[in-house]
Amino acid sequence: MRRVGEEPGPFDDSTSTHAAFTALLEDSAEDLYEQAPCGYLSTLMDGTIARINATLLGWLGLERAAVVGRMRFADLLTVGGKLYHETHFAPLLRMQGEVRGIALEMRAQDGNDGRLPVLVSSVIRHGSGGEPLLIRTTVTDASDRRSYETELLRRREEAERARAEAEQARAAAEAALRQAQRDRQRLAEALAALQKSLVPSSLPAVPGLEAAVYYHTASPDRLGGDFYDLFPVGGGRWAFFLGDVCGKGPEAASLTSLTRYTLRAAALHDPEPAAALTVLNAVLHEHYAAAGDPRYCTAVFGLLEREGDDGRVNVRVASGGHPPSLVLRADGSSAFLPTPGGLLVGILPEASFTTARTVLGPGDCLLLYTDGLTEARTGPTRESLFGDDALLAFAADHAPAGPREIIEALTVLLKGFGDGLDDDTALLALGVPAVRPAPVPSTHCTP
Amino acid sequence: MSLTINRHDAAAGPVLRVTGDLDYDHAPDLRRYLDELALDEGQRLVIDLAGLDFCDSSGITALLAARRLAHAVGADLALSAVPAKTLRVLAVVGLDRVFTIHADSTGGG
Repeated sequence: MRRVGEEPGPFDDSTSTHAAFTALLEDSAEDLYEQAPCGYLSTLMDGTIARINATLLGWLGLERAAVVGRMRFADLLTVGGKLYHETHFAPLLRMQGEVRGIALEMRAQDGNDGRLPVLVSSVIRHGSGGEPLLIRTTVTDASDRRSYETELLRRREEAERARAEAEQARAAAEAALRQAQRDRQRLAEALAALQKSLVPSSLPAVPGLEAAVYYHTASPDRLGGDFYDLFPVGGGRWAFFLGDVCGKGPEAASLTSLTRYTLRAAALHDPEPAAALTVLNAVLHEHYAAAGDPRYCTAVFGLLEREGDDGRVNVRVASGGHPPSLVLRADGSSAFLPTPGGLLVGILPEASFTTARTVLGPGDCLLLYTDGLTEARTGPTRESLFGDDALLAFAADHAPAGPREIIEALTVLLKGFGDGLDDDTALLALGVPAVRPAPVPSTHCTP
Repeated sequence: MSLTINRHDAAAGPVLRVTGDLDYDHAPDLRRYLDELALDEGQRLVIDLAGLDFCDSSGITALLAARRLAHAVGADLALSAVPAKTLRVLAVVGLDRVFTIHADSTGGG
């Protein structure tokens, strides 16, 4: 031991440290056995406990006197532990002379349900003649490790459960997606069927006449508020109409449907353009306005009749609030065909419609359009619309042009508007082919 | 883009001065205003459009609704100071002969 104030010499220091270690080692042999952080016990070959340390007695809550010479190792184990000891531990030990780190459960006074999870290692000590004398056993408290394993197990079960739930959710989501796809498919089919009832899927072939259409729906569900049709009305005559109902989407579509079939039915009864529009007006007014839900449409209705034998076609059109049609002549001129005074169809119980007339000669073309064309935005503001004047100029640029040519040119024009084309648009062009299949020298002048 | 509606009462009935846009977004404002407007039989409702910047089909529908409301109670409707562009649209759809239209903003009488 150093005295205060005395400088420790190198020799003196190492001597005292060595002495302290020696004392510690000598002092601790027995103490280490008794108080070691693991359990020790020695048994006879039949399992009778000959020696046990204080640590293990403490864990098990037993008195030394009640154990040594009175109990066997197996008596310290739980029923399950005992069974495992008999069937595995003891045979293995006899066979191998030692076992290491076997997990067993001992009966404890307190703790987890009176059970102490332990790891047990045993080794047989042999006599000088090689005969087995006794068994030395160390017991390590495995509570922490066991709870760690239990925790691991619990986590794994949780993960399994979560995975199963996720799998279930994924299956449910997939089922919902499939259902949604089926629903969407059904809806698309229904919309397609409905759309087919609004406009003809294709134009009929009219003898001596060429026809072309363009149809664009602004509504994402592809149900338009614009409509057109071309159909025979007997006596070699053909009727056509094109129009625009107020509103958009499914409600407009129902109005469109009513309008189309009313006009077709009316035309079979009386194909005079003004008469057909008068019937439509009465029907719409009675159906909507009289019921307190006024709706209306604009429409051009026309009747085509062969004029003589040179292919010329007499056209009579009536308009109900619809922009005037445009005629592109074979000679390159073009002009609106005014139909003034026609009222929106369906707003008043009584409405009169005026009829205009023209004759289409070979190479002439009649163009009907909805205001989706003339009100397409061509600039940043909603004031900058394509407009009537620009349409007339466009027609003048392209005349003479057949129905397909002018529709193609207008389609390109409309595509160029991009987002500016935010309304439904319908175009219908009817023309007499410029080149007759069997040209007959004609003495008639074109009108 | 907005719509303001100012009201004053003339001898013949209320005068609504509509300023701004009668379009898809704002036409319902006029319709709501009209729904709450107390109109008596024999009165003349005047809608003054001198301040109208823009009018589309929704606006025209709103004007038609005003006409219907007025007629339903035995009142009359007149449009005044209709901008040339709107007048042209009304002419195309034949409504220039359906609406009573005054040239100026005085509301006629």
